[in-house]
Amino acid sequence: MTHRELELQLDAYVDGELAPEDARELEAHLSACGDCARLHEARVALSAAIREQVPALHAPDALRQRVRATLRDAAGTTRVRWGLPAVATRWLALAASLATVAVGGWRLGVSRADEDALAGQVLASHVRSLMPGHLTDVVSSDQHTVKPWFNGKLDFSPPVYDFAGRGFPLVGGRLDYVGGRPVAALVYGRRQHLINVFLWPATRGSVGGGPRVATQQGYHLLQWTSPEYAYWIVSDLGLAELRGFAQLLQQADSTVAGPAAARPLP
Amino acid sequence: MEPSELERFEAIVLPHLDAAYTLARYLTRNDHDAQDIVQDAYLRALKYFGGFRGQGSAGDGRAWLLAIVRNTAHTWRRRHRGDALTTEFDEKVHSDAVAEANPATVLDGDSARETLYQALDRLGPEFREVIVLRELEGLSYKEIGDVTGVPIGTVMSRLARARRRLQETLRNREEGE
Repeated sequence: MTHRELELQLDAYVDGELAPEDARELEAHLSACGDCARLHEARVALSAAIREQVPALHAPDALRQRVRATLRDAAGTTRVRWGLPAVATRWLALAASLATVAVGGWRLGVSRADEDALAGQVLASHVRSLMPGHLTDVVSSDQHTVKPWFNGKLDFSPPVYDFAGRGFPLVGGRLDYVGGRPVAALVYGRRQHLINVFLWPATRGSVGGGPRVATQQGYHLLQWTSPEYAYWIVSDLGLAELRGFAQLLQQADSTVAGPAAARPLP
Repeated sequence: MEPSELERFEAIVLPHLDAAYTLARYLTRNDHDAQDIVQDAYLRALKYFGGFRGQGSAGDGRAWLLAIVRNTAHTWRRRHRGDALTTEFDEKVHSDAVAEANPATVLDGDSARETLYQALDRLGPEFREVIVLRELEGLSYKEIGDVTGVPIGTVMSRLARARRRLQETLRNREEGE
């Protein structure tokens, strides 16, 4: 075997792509020829250096979400289908004869068509936020950075919490526009998933009960109204975990609002 | 498309998102472009998914997807030739990725890594892609041939040339210091 022949086959040998008999011949030559053995060592070292220094990369989470959203879009969308909240379902079961009882208490003055339109806007905003550079205007896991950022940008100061200890770290916030008004959008993370929380001051009387759930294009949307704010949250996170997150938000809201509301008037 | 069909597609093709991003990223050397290319490639893949199943090689979604990513990147390069040539090498993002991959190597590995990146960068795209497909994606010569659309003999000679050039660049660099 000549050096020239060896060089032609060396890479295939290093890559384990050489036929066994050729490999045996090449090995015999390597053991007898110092120059070629050094050439072989250099090739092996180069491969090792590339693998060590030039890593395979992880796709950014935002790209993962964006690809999913695009695929679902392309595969055909489905209309929003509202499921009944668990509370309402139980209520209906108990009071089946009272057909006039509203399905939950949540239709106060808001028509189904309005709700669907809002759901569409919230979902579109969520998907848009996953495109590169659209997720946050203020990037911080510190609630005391994110909350003041909204000062002067909105006519309300949205409650911002840090649930990092519960596995939902704050990612940041941004201004968004939903239902014909500027709203606060807060972004929380959960493993590789992102959760958008949209909120704005509630306009009508408070509505209790669990959140309403809709699923569209593989995303879950939860909507409820606290005494102060109308909430929409949307994510591709599993429904159970998203409900857990909604519960955290509701608890935090009630803890903050609770003592003030309970304080007796002077 | 039926929801079950989309689920099948996602189950076969989505797990290779990291591989797709890695290839696009090293071909374009730009995060933003790589993301656009990957998204575009997935849309194309969805469109041609029927043809892929026809081949009956369901286990090999990765090479199939990478071929689409590679072709998308090349189409993109032709369309944005001016941009592609002036795109700066994004050292910071690469470095961050390395830091995540192996924090222990960061301190003493910096200059070696930089040298390797520059050497890779100087390779023509047809040589850089075989290095990425072989060393980072771990594809066989046959798969690399399928992805790049050339015979196995050409894969072999391109890899040999690419490695020889990398070694020459690294050696010159060492001697220059």
